[in-house]
Amino acid sequence: MMHSQDNLTRLPNDIGGAESEHFERVDRALEPWEKRCHALADVLDYHKIINTEEKRRGTEALGSELIAELSYYERWVAAFANILFTKGILVPSELAIKMSEVEARFAAERTS
Amino acid sequence: MSTEHTHHDHSPITAPENPPSYYEIMETAIRELLLEKKLIGAGEIRRQIELLDSRTPAVGAKIVARAWLDSDFRKRLLADGTSACEEMGITFYDSTQLIVVENTDTVHNLLVCTLCSCYPRPVLGLPPDWYKLKPYRSRAVKEPRALLAEFGTIIPENVEIHVSDSTAMVRYLVLPQRPRGTDNFNEEQLAALVTRDSMIGVVRANQPSNGEPQ
Repeated sequence: MMHSQDNLTRLPNDIGGAESEHFERVDRALEPWEKRCHALADVLDYHKIINTEEKRRGTEALGSELIAELSYYERWVAAFANILFTKGILVPSELAIKMSEVEARFAAERTS
Repeated sequence: MSTEHTHHDHSPITAPENPPSYYEIMETAIRELLLEKKLIGAGEIRRQIELLDSRTPAVGAKIVARAWLDSDFRKRLLADGTSACEEMGITFYDSTQLIVVENTDTVHNLLVCTLCSCYPRPVLGLPPDWYKLKPYRSRAVKEPRALLAEFGTIIPENVEIHVSDSTAMVRYLVLPQRPRGTDNFNEEQLAALVTRDSMIGVVRANQPSNGEPQ
């Protein structure tokens, strides 16, 4: 159990030496969207839009509750959105509108 | 992942069976908005996926095999991992620096990224899930000997374990010890003994008996 003083002295990503559950050698292939997410991270880095350390801090800024709940690439994509908002590259409303469009398009593709 | 292929006759290429998740929709939306704003170029994501797919542990295995065969190359590799790999034509697309750490009779090296999942992707590809998860990251720096034992790697008490913690800019690669009985092996035969996990340092390179020299 994390106590409040632990949260003060350690950010959520800082888990070196922390108490941990049993190690298991888990692995799986990435889903296509996860690999696209990884490629997007690299391309954002190439264009100096979001670098690796900004991405890491962006996932950490989601807070321990969301970090625990989201999968690895879900955290990345949530961090990308927040960082792009902070930098003024995207605004939340345009992302919401685009997500509705994409969702409708995916639904249409599935039923066509 | 789904095993159900009988309930519809839709093309699986354009019509995935499960609706995309909220986060997949968000990934697509962000990518398309950045394209519309011309902040990223058309085709860049596809080309990056091709580049990611071209980087596998086979790249690292070739580096290790060459270092085992060519002592001058080995010295250059240990002195400056990045430039030694670049002389083999390996590009560091993520602008990271590579430090190669060598296992010896007295030192065993182990790699981790305690803060996230930094990994020598240009030479090993993408990391396995366990490398990114809390049990490995938290324990590698606290009880590496016990963790290695869970991989079946027993390090004698008189061998020091060096744990290298990767960062956004600095990545490491383990140069495993060359297995005995491989004196007459060529580069390709040696590379076949070098596994991904041996270059992370959680196991040793395979012995010829179980490494199937070809």
